[in-house]
Amino acid sequence: MSQMLSPDMTIAAEAVTKAKIEVKNLNFYYGQSKALKDITLSLPERSVTAFIGPSGCGKSTLLRVFNRIYELYPKQTAEGQVLLDGQNVLDRSQDLNLLRTKIGMVFQKPTPFPMSIYENIAFGVRLYEKISKAEMDGRVEQALKRAALWTEVKDKLNASGLSLSGGQQQRLCIARTVAVKPEVILLDEPASALDPLSTAKIEELIDELQADYTIVIVTHNMQQAARVSKQTAFMYLGELVEFDRTEKIFTSPREKRTQDYITGRFG
Amino acid sequence: MSTAASLHQSRKRKNGVMMTLCVVAAGIGLAWLALILGALLYKGLAGVSFSVFTEMTPPPGDAGGLLNAIYGSIVMTIIGIIVGTPIGVLAGTYMAEYGRFSKLTTVVRFINDILLSAPSIIIGLFVYELMVRPMGHFSAIAGAVALAILVIPVVVRTTEDMLNLVPNALREAGTAIGAPRWVVIRSVAYRAALSGIVTGILLAIARISGETAPLLFTALNNQFWSSNLNAPMASLPVTIFQFALSPYEEWQQLAWTGALIITLTVLALSIFARSLTGRREDK
Repeated sequence: MSQMLSPDMTIAAEAVTKAKIEVKNLNFYYGQSKALKDITLSLPERSVTAFIGPSGCGKSTLLRVFNRIYELYPKQTAEGQVLLDGQNVLDRSQDLNLLRTKIGMVFQKPTPFPMSIYENIAFGVRLYEKISKAEMDGRVEQALKRAALWTEVKDKLNASGLSLSGGQQQRLCIARTVAVKPEVILLDEPASALDPLSTAKIEELIDELQADYTIVIVTHNMQQAARVSKQTAFMYLGELVEFDRTEKIFTSPREKRTQDYITGRFG
Repeated sequence: MSTAASLHQSRKRKNGVMMTLCVVAAGIGLAWLALILGALLYKGLAGVSFSVFTEMTPPPGDAGGLLNAIYGSIVMTIIGIIVGTPIGVLAGTYMAEYGRFSKLTTVVRFINDILLSAPSIIIGLFVYELMVRPMGHFSAIAGAVALAILVIPVVVRTTEDMLNLVPNALREAGTAIGAPRWVVIRSVAYRAALSGIVTGILLAIARISGETAPLLFTALNNQFWSSNLNAPMASLPVTIFQFALSPYEEWQQLAWTGALIITLTVLALSIFARSLTGRREDK
């Protein structure tokens, strides 16, 4: 096992768990400009992986390749392979909507849908499942409990999702994502628009969720990466510089650029 | 020190001059509006009575009302909106959602802007050639089609603008949860833009309910009660146009009253539209 912890970066940590997502030779382009350069890494199942790096280094771009959300926009193209349980999600034949039910995503700014709290969660469930009202009530409650929001909203499920505070809205978005029973959850700077208290709640939540989900979090906040993740990938200018166990990255990184970044010498 | 003080003084003076000019300009603009409304209220209210809403347009020298004209206006406006709104909303949806980055959208937007400012009499002539001539007679349905053509560009524009205001993050969120494109548009984007789109439709109603030119060549007018869509139909604007030009006092009075009715209706619609947008901005 230990000789596999080699500089090829394909394995992080003492990979006892199997890889959930494997990225192989991934290149990404915004029109002509190359935003990701030959990325190869594999993310273990039921574990939190953090992507860190300065703005524009490609960490959000990488995240947006996993559920192919980038395809909403023209002139964005990905080359290479992203294997989810061994299946290439970049395949033309991949059903995008089904893929996205397996890979949930939470964004930087809270994005509650313009509907009630209940409907915000039922919306995604209803897309692929036909269940009774009673079952739906159960699913909504379960999802809200999972996102540690239930006690705060259980008496106002019919209120607009927009009436909640920013931190609550973000937890609603997490509840909504969890409700459709994904396997992977992508978090794109989920706490950067929130106050410290809400951030702490979200981090707690991430810690609990990793028992059941493979989580990938993009963050600007290095302390946050250190707190919540098992593996950390440091990216710089579209390259994956270093990928290893989080404690290793933050205590004895192999690369000088990683060292410089985590000690605040640039970025 | 003294330079700063004199600079300050001269800036204050310039500010005073600019502000006076702006206030005067605003005052002039508002004064015309007040004069028009005042004249309408003064002359129009004098003729408001129960019979205006219950009797037909009279022959010269007789008393009567505007019932057939009011009815015709409502019928043709409703048909115009029913025909024009779906086309406008769907076209706007294409431009803001499916075809956001396509060349076709740029072209359609350009043409739509031309249509938006096209003189309405041209639309009337167009429908005259398209429908009235082949059919051999004027008809309410031709009038409604002319109004629908006026509705489309207004609704296209507002729908596109309002959908463009919906943050992309919301679309991404809907997509990320596995919703197909059309569900994201229907359940997320439309909902977020609803009050804006409805406002556009209300403004379109306000616009067409006062149009005279497109009806002159299409629905013509009708002195009598007629609910036949395949026959000429009276409308408030055309009746006002005809009666106001006439030498008969009763007709002139009815024209004032009709003008007041249209103005108040449009005013009410605009205020309602404003309150809808206002509520959205509160959120």
